[in-house]
Amino acid sequence: MSEVLESLFVLGTSHHVTPLEVRERFALTEAQASDLQKQLHTLEGIRECLVLNTCNRLEIYCLADSIERAKEISGLICNKQNLSPELYQQFAYSHNNLEALQHLLEVSAGLDSQMVGETEILGQLKQAYATAREAHCTGKVLNRLFEKSFQAAKVTRTQTGITRGKISIGNVTVDLASRIFGKLGNSRVLLLGSGEVGEKTAQALKSRGIGDISVSSRTFENAYTLANNLGVTAIDFDSFVDQLVHFDIVICSTAAPEALINKEAMARAMNQRPERPCFLIDLAMPRDVDPSVEEVENVYLYNLDDLSNIANENLEARKAEIEKAREILKKHAWNLWLLLRRRELMLKA
Amino acid sequence: MFNEIIMTDRTTFAIAAAIYGAAFLFGLISLLMRRAYSRTIMFALLCGGFLIQTIALNLRGTEIKACPLGNPFEITQFLAWSLVLLFFIIGPAFRLRLLGGFTAGLATLLVAGSLALPSWDTPYPTGIFGDNHWIELHAALAIFSYGFFAILSLVSAMFLIQQHGLKKKQFKGVYQYLPSVQQLDLMARRLLITGVIVLTASLAFGAVFWINNFELVPIFKLTATCFIWLGYLTVFILRIQKKLVTRRHAIATIALFILAMASLWPVQSARDNEALIEGLPTQVER
Repeated sequence: MSEVLESLFVLGTSHHVTPLEVRERFALTEAQASDLQKQLHTLEGIRECLVLNTCNRLEIYCLADSIERAKEISGLICNKQNLSPELYQQFAYSHNNLEALQHLLEVSAGLDSQMVGETEILGQLKQAYATAREAHCTGKVLNRLFEKSFQAAKVTRTQTGITRGKISIGNVTVDLASRIFGKLGNSRVLLLGSGEVGEKTAQALKSRGIGDISVSSRTFENAYTLANNLGVTAIDFDSFVDQLVHFDIVICSTAAPEALINKEAMARAMNQRPERPCFLIDLAMPRDVDPSVEEVENVYLYNLDDLSNIANENLEARKAEIEKAREILKKHAWNLWLLLRRRELMLKA
Repeated sequence: MFNEIIMTDRTTFAIAAAIYGAAFLFGLISLLMRRAYSRTIMFALLCGGFLIQTIALNLRGTEIKACPLGNPFEITQFLAWSLVLLFFIIGPAFRLRLLGGFTAGLATLLVAGSLALPSWDTPYPTGIFGDNHWIELHAALAIFSYGFFAILSLVSAMFLIQQHGLKKKQFKGVYQYLPSVQQLDLMARRLLITGVIVLTASLAFGAVFWINNFELVPIFKLTATCFIWLGYLTVFILRIQKKLVTRRHAIATIALFILAMASLWPVQSARDNEALIEGLPTQVER
């Protein structure tokens, strides 16, 4: 087992090393991520695996018979996503053994997140773990690692102030909308897609007095359910581009593989409302709004990276807490590592 | 009452400039320290500067026995006075953040700048408006409309700064204290409409005088004034038609105001030259 533990690794890409336009090329749909996980599990030498696929990261946690398996997995990702090995090498990273463990703990505690201290990643990790476990892709080692990482995240948040003073995407959006429109009471919002971040952003805007919100999703049932939850209306997804002219704020968080709003469509809408600005919030990965839309007069386009940069502007004040959290997680990682090795030695004996 | 004040009008103008300057510095330092300034203090400082400037204008008016609009110095002073007066009307009603600081900045520039250029304060014959109150009303309204255009250019500058911050994804500093782009754009629209109406009224009154005293109005002054009016009227029409909005509208109004200010000196020179040619006295004891 000591050999087994030596081949614990994580590889992938995240917002730290990969710009948004490259992350888009790595991005997987839910179905693609599930397929990849199944495919990895069938590979020879892969004992346990888990795919974590969020808008900011694609990571594969593996327990394999050899560290060399990481290269096979890299090749598989390149083939699947049509990426050149050079691009992959430039933007991907990998960690082994204790480093991999430490990385997982930092991810679960939100220290590695784009908006440091955010808690959404923990839910995403739990979801990824549940899916992998259900598919029998994880075993004793990864199960233990992930369950311990969830505990460590909770301890870190309780013992440090990493979440204090944290600004959410919803808050940043509300502040930006206020800088564009002033009072938000008369603004009309369109929520595209039924993603959780989009929903929270819409809720934040609603809490600031916006009453006119419409929801549109490729699956009308999802739009209808979300509209019911928010107490708003649902509109037909096929016609949303023609209706852009009526909306002041558009929140995009669909899983569409291509941009839904291009420069021409936006320019057409703005021609009909030249005096009223339009605020586009693109929370999707890959992006729902073509970046060239920003060139249209009176349009303000913000994507995930922009919002996170703004949210992290108060990071300096939390630096000491982040260091404290990192130290706590280091101890957890080391104890967990020793525990796993001890158990294995006992089994051997 | 003001005649009993020992200070000269220029000293009084200098005190007003110092108070406006203090207001501007107060706003600037607050922003550099990354905090919003106290509106009450800003308002009080502007009130102080305005009061002193009113006294100075009154002293000058008493001396020349007319509305002090006879040379570029007086015109600039009257313009700064109109600007601050309009801020008192617009500021509390629309609560545009930082407008007080921007107004203080422009008022300081105009008042101190015109004091720093003695050549602008050239003596001129007393009673330049004669007994014709229409032409005095025309001059006062014209400068008052320039006050609207001055505050419009400030609002436009604030719009461009805020828009730049939003486009470049800047969140901290001055951007967070400025009003929203939509508020600023709406305010710019209102100021443009009001300014154009006041300037048009001023020109209408001036036209009555011009028809009866064709030879007394210098052609250069007439051309420059009509050019500025046409410029604003064009921007106004394009704005109403929604063809010139937001950023381009802001740039156009700032450019027009700079042009209007730049035309003050040549207009005055043309008038002085014509006076010299016609052998009219251009000196007055002050």
